[in-house]
Amino acid sequence: MRDELPVLHGVPPIPEGSQPHARCQDECFLGEKPEPLKYREAIQRIKNWFRANSLHVLAYGTGCGSIELRPLGTARFDMERFGISTRPTPRHANVLIISGYLSIKTLKRVIRSYEQMPSPKWVVGLGSCTINGGMYWDSYATMKQLDLYLPVDMYISGCMPRPEALIEGFAALMDKIKKGEANGYLDYLERLDWYRENQKKIIHDWDLPDYSW
Amino acid sequence: MKTHIETLKRHQFEVLWTHQQRANLIQIGIKAEQTLPVLTYLKTHTPFVQLTHYSAVDWIEDNEFQLTYTLTNPQTYEILMVCARIDREAATADSLHKLWPQAVTYEHEMGEMFGLKFPGSPRVGEPFNLEGWRDMPPMRRDFDTVKFVRDSIPERPGRQAINTRDYIGAEAGEKRLLHD
Repeated sequence: MRDELPVLHGVPPIPEGSQPHARCQDECFLGEKPEPLKYREAIQRIKNWFRANSLHVLAYGTGCGSIELRPLGTARFDMERFGISTRPTPRHANVLIISGYLSIKTLKRVIRSYEQMPSPKWVVGLGSCTINGGMYWDSYATMKQLDLYLPVDMYISGCMPRPEALIEGFAALMDKIKKGEANGYLDYLERLDWYRENQKKIIHDWDLPDYSW
Repeated sequence: MKTHIETLKRHQFEVLWTHQQRANLIQIGIKAEQTLPVLTYLKTHTPFVQLTHYSAVDWIEDNEFQLTYTLTNPQTYEILMVCARIDREAATADSLHKLWPQAVTYEHEMGEMFGLKFPGSPRVGEPFNLEGWRDMPPMRRDFDTVKFVRDSIPERPGRQAINTRDYIGAEAGEKRLLHD
């Protein structure tokens, strides 16, 4: 990756004959000036690399799949060796795991928690219930397709997935973040009306604010 | 335990039927209008002082709801299940909140899930499990869950379902053929 990055110039030596207090625009660069787009892309890549290695999972379980998060977080599978840790409040977290089935009553709380999380943030759908309803496909109380209500960056299939599968899923999410493809949070802001419309279709007693800052 | 049931009969309570399910579990049927007196008597004059469970069953064929009050004797762990049938249309039963305060939670839930009415029960009508529910109570047997789900909750297209009974039957049949 280092080879692909454009070289970022450090403080150049003052060219001969230049004014000591020249405006720091073109004069700051020696030789070829990097194109602004590439420069921004490089910064974005560095940011993404840092972000991918700093995942803080909201310690919140919605369904039975959250039982697999306990061995993942503790000594046996130990997700902290990948730089993933849990946080008790949405204000400190940037990964939301929907672990298994999500009842419509819980969906309301999840939307609130998700909107309170600072950007950039990612949603991981865990288990087949989040994908197509799973074994609760005919339940009156659960939603059947998570990506209608929240922007899902990574699905981990299984009923329920083992901690090894979760580690695999996190690795895939980290790759996706490094490539800059995990932009669900931007999609949520861009298409907020569409998400809101879907949310309000199944949450009949809607009493949330316009956006839970 | 049987002596307590005999005492009930002696006190002019009508015991419609008795059924011994296990050595320590007896079910009795009583009239719905005698529910409160019977339970008050059992709580105050017998060792069955603890209400361990309290639930409803929808007997749609008989047009009735059956309310089952599970009482436990904490000394001997004997269980007495008192069953009373109420009319399905009226769906009204006596509230037990004066006898056992924890009964309120059961009544609250039954009110939401079966549409039962318990006049005087505190917190009745507040949302509990179902928020913003607009349909008929979902645990009633005439509630068509699959139709409700198809109509109101969007589903990802392309989901394939296998009939579990057919699938396992076919698999078992194949195996039996192989063994034969």
